[in-house]
Amino acid sequence: MQFSYEQHRIIGGIGADDEYWRALEQGEFKLPRCSGCGQWTWPAHYRCGVCGSWEFVWTPLEPVGTVYAWTRTCYAFERVKERAADVPYVTVLAEIPAAGNARVMGILQGSEENLRIGAAVRGLILPPSEKSKHYPSIQWTLEAHR
Amino acid sequence: MSTIRGKTAIVGVGQTPYYKRGTSPDPELKLCVRAIVDACEEAGIQPSEVDGFISYASERSDAQKLMPALGTREVRFAALSWIHGGGIPGALSIAASAIVAGQASVVAVYRSMAESAGQRLRINVAQNDTAAQYLVNGLESPVQILALRAQRLIEADGVPAETLRAMAQACYYHARNNPRAYGRNTVLDDQTYANARMISEPYRLFDCSRENDGACAVIVVSAERAKHLKQKPAYILSAPMGGLEGSGAREENIHPYSTAGQAGVARRMWAESGYAPKDVDVLQVYQNMTGMGVGALIDHGFCTFENAGEVIRFENLIAPNGALPCNTSGGDLAEGFIHGMGLMAEAVRQLRGTSTNQVPDAKLSLMTGGPGDTLTSTALFGTEETL
Repeated sequence: MQFSYEQHRIIGGIGADDEYWRALEQGEFKLPRCSGCGQWTWPAHYRCGVCGSWEFVWTPLEPVGTVYAWTRTCYAFERVKERAADVPYVTVLAEIPAAGNARVMGILQGSEENLRIGAAVRGLILPPSEKSKHYPSIQWTLEAHR
Repeated sequence: MSTIRGKTAIVGVGQTPYYKRGTSPDPELKLCVRAIVDACEEAGIQPSEVDGFISYASERSDAQKLMPALGTREVRFAALSWIHGGGIPGALSIAASAIVAGQASVVAVYRSMAESAGQRLRINVAQNDTAAQYLVNGLESPVQILALRAQRLIEADGVPAETLRAMAQACYYHARNNPRAYGRNTVLDDQTYANARMISEPYRLFDCSRENDGACAVIVVSAERAKHLKQKPAYILSAPMGGLEGSGAREENIHPYSTAGQAGVARRMWAESGYAPKDVDVLQVYQNMTGMGVGALIDHGFCTFENAGEVIRFENLIAPNGALPCNTSGGDLAEGFIHGMGLMAEAVRQLRGTSTNQVPDAKLSLMTGGPGDTLTSTALFGTEETL
């Protein structure tokens, strides 16, 4: 399979998360777990800092969690100008209890009413688009408004 | 006890004016040469004597470009402190270590920035190293990323939002007395603060640092040599850099989350220097955003989540009579922003007694590095009697 994100690769950060984007582009939400000690390692890395293993199991998860933090962007920033027409938009940092409380970013979709830290969210996987720089993405929705 | 404590001192400060970003009449290399030469002349040292060159972050005016213009006799040591603004006091630690280890004798620590055609400084500063997780989800700027953390600081940790306003107002209050300050004409009353446009909630315009063209340099030498130069020395008591387990490049998966990531370096700084928060006379707190300034004060032990609202009040933060005079030049928000280097100059002026918002008889002067950075650092300077 030709992956869209590979054709538009963003260089930056740790860069060990290809499997995350591949899975997402195939409609699955997966995070890496150390095959040695079971530690969830997010963002993905090359070696488990807890036990020293180099092997990870990319584990499918239901995209559910709670709001850990959020911000409403009110300015069209240069490097994310694809979203200029959507300003203001909310980005949520969601905590995933089933993955050792790993935190995963995503745009908030739907009503913002009762947006608060601790609120339950559910993720919808979106295919690559210009807005998400031709990467697949997760959009969070407040459970209260589903 | 640290082997660098009090063994070196800042003996010269050089600073170009702060220009509006993109309007410097000179390119950044020329600004850099100017700042280093000015710092040398102020100290009474020939620029050709500088044998160590240390900067941080994405600095491009490196030793090999500077030495022809400075008449450098020999470059003996050159280094860059990782990573962004977090590396500033860390650059001092490298300078002090190099001098104590006999690897250099006159070290310039500096930063120069001038916005080149169309490229915002904050984009240069990001060094094309922003993880896809951010960019895919509409996040690119430090203000947005640090807004996530500020929201958590206020909403989950219970720190009053008014502390952010107090940090900003102290900066603009001090700037009014500082002829160098870029924001000296702004009166930041409660109304002006509240009416400013929202950038990334909870941050409004006046919560954000400026971006300026300019350069700033300091000269570091051994304590022995410092005694015989023109200026009153600002001794480096401690300048640790680093990060505890749970920090680093973790794409918002850091622990702890909402403060400045400086608890570890602060603890080492207090231990190395032998001082405690109650001993500090004046503070220059790096603020990319006001919430990070609040986080730095918490990490350094000046207050806690619980009493931040009582401690971080405007009256308390202003010179000369506040208990915690903070950002007495106007700081990154109101004086100007050369990636935080202006704070180092002001920390030194306070010990010389030459600040435009002088804290009477200041002996211990603190400067914190870029908060919320993936690695960070902090520094404590003292007069001779604190050694």
